[in-house]
Amino acid sequence: MNGWLDVGALLKVLVFGIVAGAGLPALFAVGVRSQAVGAGTIDGQHLAGDRRPLLTAAAYLCFALVAVAIAAGVLFVARDFIGHHTGWYVLGAEPS
Amino acid sequence: MNESLIILVLVVATALAFDFTNGFHDTGNAMATSIATGALSPKVAVTLSAVLNLVGAFLSTAVAATIAKGLVDANLVTLEIVFAGLVGGITWNLLTWLLGIPSSSSHALIGGVIGAMLAAAGSSGVEWKGVVSNVVLPAVLSPVIAGLVATLGTYSVYRSTRGLEERRTERGFRIGQIGSASLASLAHGTNDAQKTMGIIFLALISYGSVSADETLPPTWVIVSCASAIALGTYLGGWRIIRTLGKGLVEIRSPQGMAAESSSAAIILLASHFGFSLSTTHVATGSILGSGLGKPGAEVRWGVALRMATAWVVTLPAAALVGAVAYGVTAGIGGLAGVLVVFAGLLAVSFTIWLRSRGSVVSHDNVNDEWDDRASSRRPAVAGAES
Repeated sequence: MNGWLDVGALLKVLVFGIVAGAGLPALFAVGVRSQAVGAGTIDGQHLAGDRRPLLTAAAYLCFALVAVAIAAGVLFVARDFIGHHTGWYVLGAEPS
Repeated sequence: MNESLIILVLVVATALAFDFTNGFHDTGNAMATSIATGALSPKVAVTLSAVLNLVGAFLSTAVAATIAKGLVDANLVTLEIVFAGLVGGITWNLLTWLLGIPSSSSHALIGGVIGAMLAAAGSSGVEWKGVVSNVVLPAVLSPVIAGLVATLGTYSVYRSTRGLEERRTERGFRIGQIGSASLASLAHGTNDAQKTMGIIFLALISYGSVSADETLPPTWVIVSCASAIALGTYLGGWRIIRTLGKGLVEIRSPQGMAAESSSAAIILLASHFGFSLSTTHVATGSILGSGLGKPGAEVRWGVALRMATAWVVTLPAAALVGAVAYGVTAGIGGLAGVLVVFAGLLAVSFTIWLRSRGSVVSHDNVNDEWDDRASSRRPAVAGAES
């Protein structure tokens, strides 16, 4: 941290911010779409499409990926706290 | 009980009061969009947010160290300076709350402390480089980055669900929105509760009961700060929730989800790197971005401009109050000075609270239609002028 601005950290915030902050909602939206189309619901009086189990499965895969990413993210931020209090050092945390 | 111990107790009490105002000032940052879209009822939203703030406050303490050591010369800090700084922060937070402006609680606090330091020790007591790289630059950059991420997120969400009827996706996005808002509350706890911890830490260092080499605040500090911010959050700053949820952008669930995801990601990353950015700036940037990313959505730039003005004014205004508070405290001197300013703070707070009774915004009317022509700060009341 020699300069006025830690450009390296800023770039990391930007890149991880886009991946997590925009990528995860996008993945979630793909899941919502797959689920809606996969369920083959009836629109008004018309049959919109048959059930498509593969799409439904893909939807749950999307939701699961989002959930795992969030859990990993929270664990990562809390890793020092968890390690400090439980002795369980995860995701590269180190005993101080 | 000697005099400086009584002063220390008053300082800690004032710090917790600040943390409390920080809580209700910022409830909207995480929960405004969920309340506006109806994904959560107002009461459930503030309760959930309070609990998650409490949890978040325990998870990470990187920011506390920045506040305690990066901004002013820790060797010059006295209890009176910390106290006057807190008075500046609280006063500004209450005023902006009365006006329904989501200004930065962090800037109010930092401005107050810097102002008190300037009055006490002059320009040499402030770590200007730390102020610029830890406060000013993040303040300029964070809303832009958050807005960019939220724009990208909103655009790809709408793109992915193009052609589908809204009623088939609404339920999914509401769930997504609740999840992302919860994460944003957690993130708020990891960043904002830390700031008061840092201040109490600073007070304890100057009192001499904690060594300046310590990196972690004592456990009772963490517990009491976490509780104060959670309690404030639970109370809910309905005026500010209203401005954020209804004033900037007419928000739909997919936008809310994208906005809160962006806020949560940026705040958590910043906490991880020890940046003390303003969660308010991030949340506002995200909500604006969610308006930009949705094709055809309207952004009320007038409201955004008024907020941006308040952001610029926050640091110097809180600094001014902090400096005046220090002047009075030190002018009278000793315990008497602290007591006089403390009484003054109580009087000011009470006056602002009385003023707020004139136009109550509560969980009942927080979602009323936004009327940009009339006083946009409070819900339009049919047939009433005020």
